[in-house]
Amino acid sequence: MDQNQHGQPTQEAVGKNQYQSNPMMAPTNPPSETIGPYVTSSFPREKQHAPQDIYQEQLNNFWAKQCQEIEETTDLRTHSLPYARIKKIMKADRDVRMVSAEAPVLFAKACEMFIMELTMKAWANAEDHRRRILQKSDIASAISKTDVFDFLEDIVPRDVGIPRSSIAQNFDLSMPPHQNVTYPPYYVPAMVTGRPIPDQNHHGP
Amino acid sequence: MGDNNIGKVLEREGFKYNFTAAASDTSAQDEVIKEQDRLLPIANVGRIMKQILPPNAKISKEAKETMQECVSEFISFVTGEASDKCHKEKRKTVNGDDICWALATLGFDDYSEPLKRYLHKYREFEGERANQNKGNNNTYENNIANI
Repeated sequence: MDQNQHGQPTQEAVGKNQYQSNPMMAPTNPPSETIGPYVTSSFPREKQHAPQDIYQEQLNNFWAKQCQEIEETTDLRTHSLPYARIKKIMKADRDVRMVSAEAPVLFAKACEMFIMELTMKAWANAEDHRRRILQKSDIASAISKTDVFDFLEDIVPRDVGIPRSSIAQNFDLSMPPHQNVTYPPYYVPAMVTGRPIPDQNHHGP
Repeated sequence: MGDNNIGKVLEREGFKYNFTAAASDTSAQDEVIKEQDRLLPIANVGRIMKQILPPNAKISKEAKETMQECVSEFISFVTGEASDKCHKEKRKTVNGDDICWALATLGFDDYSEPLKRYLHKYREFEGERANQNKGNNNTYENNIANI
């Protein structure tokens, strides 16, 4: 038996590389990515990645803070986004006839919350890649990971935020190609015979 | 004679009219303005983004521009839903309640509840302002009557 009394595989079995039999497979070393002059492993480590629940906690704190700020708001006339511009964007829709005065005020606050939430989620992605500069790809990644942001898929295409290496990892390269699959016969359309079409440009007799 | 005077006035006031300009040029100019108006100012968007990030963080210009596009799409998306509700209920004006309803319908539940509270506070604030204005108008009218 290849197991010891504790039911664990022996050291020999553990040390054996399961991919050695397949010469087509890539080496088992983790892929590396270069950031500036440094080469770092792209596999997660404890120091490298903050756990997902920390981000969730930050998000919960964010919404709690937003509610608290609204409760404490006394001056509703100060605004971070221009109401007139918001109204113009709203009225760009042909179906919108009239907009009440409160609608742009409400949208200014909603947009502020939207920008902050999307930025937070994008920043989490930037931190995962140990970057200090927020990029378009981070926003794309945040959009692809959040269901309610599906309407933004056209603006930021999904493949912008996904590196090539992660796409390749989705395919199981160890699987052999399907050999027993029967493909339908190639259909060759019959030749159409008939009189040639006269040249329209030819103005002969 | 009179036309020359008008020309001088326009020149003096700083108006510059190019009457020979083609119509396509003006429409192209309008299109540029419309494109600008379609997005919220990049400075404001960048400022809000910075609020939530740590001090050592930086934001690329491309990220700010992407966020501008996203915000405009967000406004259009929510407005469309609110507008549909108004159309079904045979109303012409989109109000705050319609926006809160649209946000909840589209899955933005986290936004909907705080914004309902915000809307309530805004209406209270506007009500107080209206009362103050009424009071000011009444005192003004009384003063006029006394005179």
